[in-house]
Amino acid sequence: MQDRIQFSATINRKKVGPVDVPKDLMMIEFLQEYVGMNGTRLGCGQGVCRACTIIVDDPDKGAITVPACVTGVTWLNGKTVRTIEGIASVDDKGVVHPSPMQKAFLEHYAFQCGYCTPGFVNAATVLMEKLQKHPVPADDVEQVVEQQLEPHICRCTGYVRYYNAVRDVILKTPGLTTGRRTKEVLNNG
Amino acid sequence: MARSTWLKGLGIAAVAGVLVTGGMYLYGSSSGHVPPATVDFAKLSPEEQGRLYKRGEQVFRAGDCAACHSSPQTGAQLAGGVPMVTPMGALYGTNISPSREHGIGNWSADDLYRAVAAGMAPGRKNLYPAMPYASYHQIARGDVDALWVWLMKQPAVEVANKPNEMHFPFNIRPAVALWNVIARPSAKEFTGPGDEPARGKYLVDVLGHCAECHSPRSKATFAMDSSRYLEGNTIEGSYAPALTPDALNARGWTKQDLVRFFRSGLSPQGVMTFRMADVLEHSTSRMPQEDLSAMAAYLTQNREMPGPKVKAATGQVNAKGENLYLGLCAGCHGAQGQGQPHSSVPMSTNTTAMFPTSINLIRVIREGVPERDLAHGERMQAMPGFADKLSHEEMADLVNYMRQTWGDQPGNVTALEVADHTKTIEHSQ
Repeated sequence: MQDRIQFSATINRKKVGPVDVPKDLMMIEFLQEYVGMNGTRLGCGQGVCRACTIIVDDPDKGAITVPACVTGVTWLNGKTVRTIEGIASVDDKGVVHPSPMQKAFLEHYAFQCGYCTPGFVNAATVLMEKLQKHPVPADDVEQVVEQQLEPHICRCTGYVRYYNAVRDVILKTPGLTTGRRTKEVLNNG
Repeated sequence: MARSTWLKGLGIAAVAGVLVTGGMYLYGSSSGHVPPATVDFAKLSPEEQGRLYKRGEQVFRAGDCAACHSSPQTGAQLAGGVPMVTPMGALYGTNISPSREHGIGNWSADDLYRAVAAGMAPGRKNLYPAMPYASYHQIARGDVDALWVWLMKQPAVEVANKPNEMHFPFNIRPAVALWNVIARPSAKEFTGPGDEPARGKYLVDVLGHCAECHSPRSKATFAMDSSRYLEGNTIEGSYAPALTPDALNARGWTKQDLVRFFRSGLSPQGVMTFRMADVLEHSTSRMPQEDLSAMAAYLTQNREMPGPKVKAATGQVNAKGENLYLGLCAGCHGAQGQGQPHSSVPMSTNTTAMFPTSINLIRVIREGVPERDLAHGERMQAMPGFADKLSHEEMADLVNYMRQTWGDQPGNVTALEVADHTKTIEHSQ
């Protein structure tokens, strides 16, 4: 059994590799040390805090999130991946446009130190994409937001502004919810 | 003439059938001899009360009564309600608090003895053998007396029992009496030489009722098969492994590691999971060290065992499985299966990969394990479930890799076997 593999993946819509890497390399190390993408944050290193969350686009199952700190390159070899660097768009003039979710986090002052933010952005982005396919009743938005973001740890804020930001984007984006909102929208942050 | 003879014969057979069934019912619903109480409850001094209370709590812990008789909703210790899923339907642990309406507040110590040792509740009511009277039948009368004192001093929980959901014909409770005729050992106090292994045998066989899960059961009567005592059994969607000295030795156990496992839920051989998580919480983590040592002495027969050792891989390991292990598992469990202290168990000495069946490995990988404080400071972080990430083929590859690499097992698990085990696991929930 060889100790190294040739790793290739589509990362943020660009083909990467093949790159000769140790077969037990974790994805976060590949991103930071091999392709210079430092936006994915290493927190606990045990898949618990979710600061390192990245998106995997599966052709059958759609977008899912995985913690890059404990997900090895052998599982991601040949797959399509998005990291925080691929969430904002860049126009023809090179101007960067944050995604609606990134804008909402800025508008809500959702984060302070920002270390956990890439994980929150990616998890919330996947939630929005899921809701495009499977909208939920407008009154259930808080519940799905909490389900999706519950594993993510933030040590600066009280989570409330993150959760409010995601809720607001979902409620304002056409097609993500069904029915009329009957519950009051509370900003108790 | 021939017709009348035939009718007469049928009549005799019917009467004989009724008599035999009736006789069986009477025998199977009797409690047999009840030994006299070891104390006079009316004349107990405060010191004797205190001594009995303490001993009663130890009996309660060692007998693991709380695992079935605690409320899964509120955690109330004696309220009952824990489901036990059997092939015959679901049973629920009953309220054993001193509530006079819902619990056992009207029971005497003799009543408690009959229930525990013979499976008979007051009013000639047969208990289902999920109440392990087939193991408790050798309980010491003194232990029952102490348990009664302790139980009657606990707060009454006014919660009604949840009705059982047994399939026909198992929902006919008096029919348990017929099962008793075939499978119930008679109540008789355990006797032994009084040394540590004998105490261990009493704790393992009687109070701990380990064989109820760890011994295979007869396919005909579903009673414990004493000819295959502690040889391992698949029950409630997981494998309760063999506990014979040879089996423990082969999986790298030692007496010391067993004690550590009983006490804290963790040792190099693995972490308490599935039903054993409840056993740890309610029973073994709260038992005195000398009792844990006695259980380990009995189970190992005080044999010197070499302990955990990383085994050589069996044959060419499954390459797809290795990629899956490195991609999904190694981040926490280590590329060499070394694990991380107090958060992720090592795989290299974990006994789960060594079992003759792959069901536990499949179940843990599918479902994950919740984050848990074990006992005495030990803890484990949450393990996520991978059911949505692995097809049956991929699960078979991964399980084969782990069994070959660390389990001394052949890599012969098929996708079909994974599907079968998955069905068994889902059916148990």
